[in-house]
Amino acid sequence: MAEQRSPFAGRTAELDALEAIEVPFLTQIDVRCAPEIAQRLGFPLVANTVAGDMARGVLWLGPDEWLVVGLSGGAATMVAELEAALDGTHHAVVDVSQNRAVIELRGRDRHEVLASGCSLDLDPRGGWAPGVCAQTLFAHAPVILQELDGATRVFMRPSFAHYLVDRLSVAR
Amino acid sequence: MTGLRLETGGTWIDRSRPIRFTFDGREVDGFAGDTVTSALLASGERAGFVSPLQGRSRGVMTAGVEEPNAFVEISAPWFEPIRPATMVTLVDGLVVQSRPGVGVLPESSVVARPARHGHRHVEVLVIGAGAAGRAAATEAAARGGRVLLVDEHHMVLEPPTGVTTWANTTASGIYDDGYVLCYQRDGALDVIHHVRADKVVLAAGAHERPLAFVDNDRPGVMLAAAARAYLERFGVLVGHHVVVFSTNHAGHETAEALAAVGATVTVIDPSPRGGRATDRLQAAGIEVHGNAQVVATNGAPALREVTILEADGHRSTVSADVLAVSGGWNPAVQLARGIGVGLAYDEAKACFVHDGTGPSWLQVVGAAAGDVPAAYPIWVIDDGDDARKYVEPQRDQTVADVAYAVAGGLTSAEHVKRATYIGTTIDQGRTSGVLTAEVVNRLLGWAPGAQGPTNARPPYTPIPFSALAGVDSGSILLDPIRVTPIHDWHDEHGAVYENVGQWKRPRYFPRAGEDMHAAVARECRAVRTEVGLLDASTLGKIDVCGPDSGVFLDRMYTNRMSNLSVGSIRYGLMLGLDGMVFDDGVAMRLAEDRYIVTTTTGGAAPVLDRFEEWLQTEWTDLQVYCTSVTEQWSVVAVGGPKAREVIAAAGTDIDLDDEAFAFMRLRSGTVAGVPVRMCRISFTGELSYELHVSPWQAQHVWESVMAAGEPFGITPYGTEAMHVLRAEKGYVIVGQETDGTQTPEDLGMAWIVNPGKGDFVGKRSLVRSDNLREGRKQLVGLLAEDPAFVLPEGTQIIETAEIPDTPVHMLGWITSSYPSGAMGRSIALALVEGGHARRGATVFAAAGDRTIACTVTNSIFYDPEGAKRDG
Repeated sequence: MAEQRSPFAGRTAELDALEAIEVPFLTQIDVRCAPEIAQRLGFPLVANTVAGDMARGVLWLGPDEWLVVGLSGGAATMVAELEAALDGTHHAVVDVSQNRAVIELRGRDRHEVLASGCSLDLDPRGGWAPGVCAQTLFAHAPVILQELDGATRVFMRPSFAHYLVDRLSVAR
Repeated sequence: MTGLRLETGGTWIDRSRPIRFTFDGREVDGFAGDTVTSALLASGERAGFVSPLQGRSRGVMTAGVEEPNAFVEISAPWFEPIRPATMVTLVDGLVVQSRPGVGVLPESSVVARPARHGHRHVEVLVIGAGAAGRAAATEAAARGGRVLLVDEHHMVLEPPTGVTTWANTTASGIYDDGYVLCYQRDGALDVIHHVRADKVVLAAGAHERPLAFVDNDRPGVMLAAAARAYLERFGVLVGHHVVVFSTNHAGHETAEALAAVGATVTVIDPSPRGGRATDRLQAAGIEVHGNAQVVATNGAPALREVTILEADGHRSTVSADVLAVSGGWNPAVQLARGIGVGLAYDEAKACFVHDGTGPSWLQVVGAAAGDVPAAYPIWVIDDGDDARKYVEPQRDQTVADVAYAVAGGLTSAEHVKRATYIGTTIDQGRTSGVLTAEVVNRLLGWAPGAQGPTNARPPYTPIPFSALAGVDSGSILLDPIRVTPIHDWHDEHGAVYENVGQWKRPRYFPRAGEDMHAAVARECRAVRTEVGLLDASTLGKIDVCGPDSGVFLDRMYTNRMSNLSVGSIRYGLMLGLDGMVFDDGVAMRLAEDRYIVTTTTGGAAPVLDRFEEWLQTEWTDLQVYCTSVTEQWSVVAVGGPKAREVIAAAGTDIDLDDEAFAFMRLRSGTVAGVPVRMCRISFTGELSYELHVSPWQAQHVWESVMAAGEPFGITPYGTEAMHVLRAEKGYVIVGQETDGTQTPEDLGMAWIVNPGKGDFVGKRSLVRSDNLREGRKQLVGLLAEDPAFVLPEGTQIIETAEIPDTPVHMLGWITSSYPSGAMGRSIALALVEGGHARRGATVFAAAGDRTIACTVTNSIFYDPEGAKRDG
């Protein structure tokens, strides 16, 4: 198997300065189905919330769209499991693991850094707390934000990785 | 310190921190907390400024953003072309020059102040940190939640507890749903805060207005509230002999305050009242002239004496170094007006107050809400020459100028503003707006308040563009640069890039000593004779899934996709509702209920948006889900006669034999040990394989193919060679051959339209009479008479060898033009009126002042029979 290459190759110094780490090669499966069916699978129905755990977290992306996020390397298995669970229903299960790169911001000022380019309320007093997520923009790049305990995950199209590192860096 | 600074007092200054700054080349002393104007006044400066048009000497008139006279350029420690001197706080190293109301940019470039942006959400935003604002903030904080208090001045005294308080911060505009743009000056840094508040409290106070009398712009004439502000905030007594000309009790209080610190004060009150107010002033040692007016000022340039006209016609003069004027109070409702709040005239206060309309989340309080002193309604003093009664000092406009506009037939304050430029100033007519409206009312014989001041819009006070641009200003961050997973390799191999949307795509890979022309010619030759390698990762890709996918795609493309067999690929055109070509790409059928469609690089997002729009709004019965997979798949395109051998050499488990793997088919397997979806598609006319691979391994695949291809002369090529190669084949690029006004028929692609398959987007428009008429511009090939001449793209095509007199009838234009190695001459594609019928005819390209004869040809130049496609 050929070595896997991350879009953040060569940017670790900048990530360090941002108190950020890359979460490389995560399994990410986009699931489209009716909410009634999703409910049976334990997917969250409340907008912008996350169900599950780090091994299999499910992010609400839309009324009929979820992003299932697992550990690195399990895409084929997860696709098969989801296809089996949704068999006989109208659905789409699409492996999008390579479609977004992921970093975790771990600095205490991470919400302030993100607020330099994101119009959402990222203040815990406004309800931004572990277990929430949102599809939004950071500056000129589309991102998904997911709040964890003490960290914020930023999912981005890999082609925007360098831009986002540069843009986050000037915000700090 | 000498001058007019009192020994004590001044709540905004820190006397332990002297600061020396430079004003117009001379050094002036002040304290931390001083503004340029408070320090100038303290130093004894009485004029210092000049009016913009008439060059009249001017002095400081106000202590805030409403200042119409005192403007400076900041030269150090940063550069700003113009600021009201009243709002420039002293900092170490400050150098300012007076400016007559207009800033000047130096000829050499200047570095803009750095700027940042931030978003902030609060439950309550309070604008203005005066007594009313602080009370509102305190009350809001007691109810809990996030409370933000902003004030445009650099000092907020007694900031409330439990409230985030920002000084130096101007609420610039109030927009829908409690969105307020705030501009903060943090030393040398500008910050734009995008504040979103559940509730907005406007406590912006009120602005005092002047009165129009002869020579009311003489240095030493200032607003009464300013005289008081300089005393209380900065410990500066603006003059030892002060005349206060006031219509209201706030002016009288100023008189008392000035008298209390030792000034000789005379009060002129135009109202006939007297009684207790007069008694109280007289008790404080103040001479009072009731029912009197100031009718003139004297002094050169600064004020020396004031002429008073009594009700009985008696004139007298009073020595004065300051004339403090209070014509009444204008509630500062500009920000509320920007979101739709109206005005109503209040007779007792002789001012305009908000009329109670406006959004429910906006509350106006304090002086801004009309809590201002009652005022005697007078605006213009009749006595004397109207041409010397200034209404708008910053435009040198007088009562006579307003009268001239009204005599010309203008009745609306809005029209008068545009005729006189009154209120088009840095202070946005803070002092002149209501005064002008009342002058117009009076000239027309209308009652006071018959019409109010001109409308107010954001920004409340000027904001530098550099602040709005934020970190994007002059930076690569302005527009994201998107790169493919193979970008590092391209960098290492000297790629020259082309911007395609936000993407950086290699345009060509020059070798030592090569220019673009030589590099592209070499790259094209490699693909035609050996093998080339292209990074096509930027192609848009959409996964279309569900039992109705075929039906759906039949409706989106002009041709049929539902009968495509699994494992096959078909090219398709997508039209707008107007029948014009919108995008193109291929559909690959992966399974009965699954396709991947590709789009142009720039079309990825618009096409997905269009798919979702039709699925969500029109065809909700169709069971189809679309998912963007553009970056899930990188694409390495191997093309040329030796492509098959190179892929075999790189190692693959896919049978590449033409029988087993025909044109427009796809196969799954591995190449160089990496899982791959391989497609036989060609945009060059040569045998070609697209390797769709994981971006995580794309560079590995690229390098493996490069290594395997070395014995075959493999050459990486860029978008420029791709453009030449496809043009040789007559393949269009949507956006280059098209501009949104071409039907498939115009492009000679009627073959791809299948009207028999049922409805599709744009079908109905294809039979519009205009889309069927003769003489539409159609895509053709053009060969210049001189085969070495490359016609410039965009060149217009005309009928005659001589350029006729205007208007010249244009037949069309060149869309693509290249030197073609394969054809041994230049080639061009063009849109030409009735072009298909002109094949074989001669037309002329108007290049500059000469014309070039061109033969109209078929748009396919190279290998029209497609013999090269299978290698």
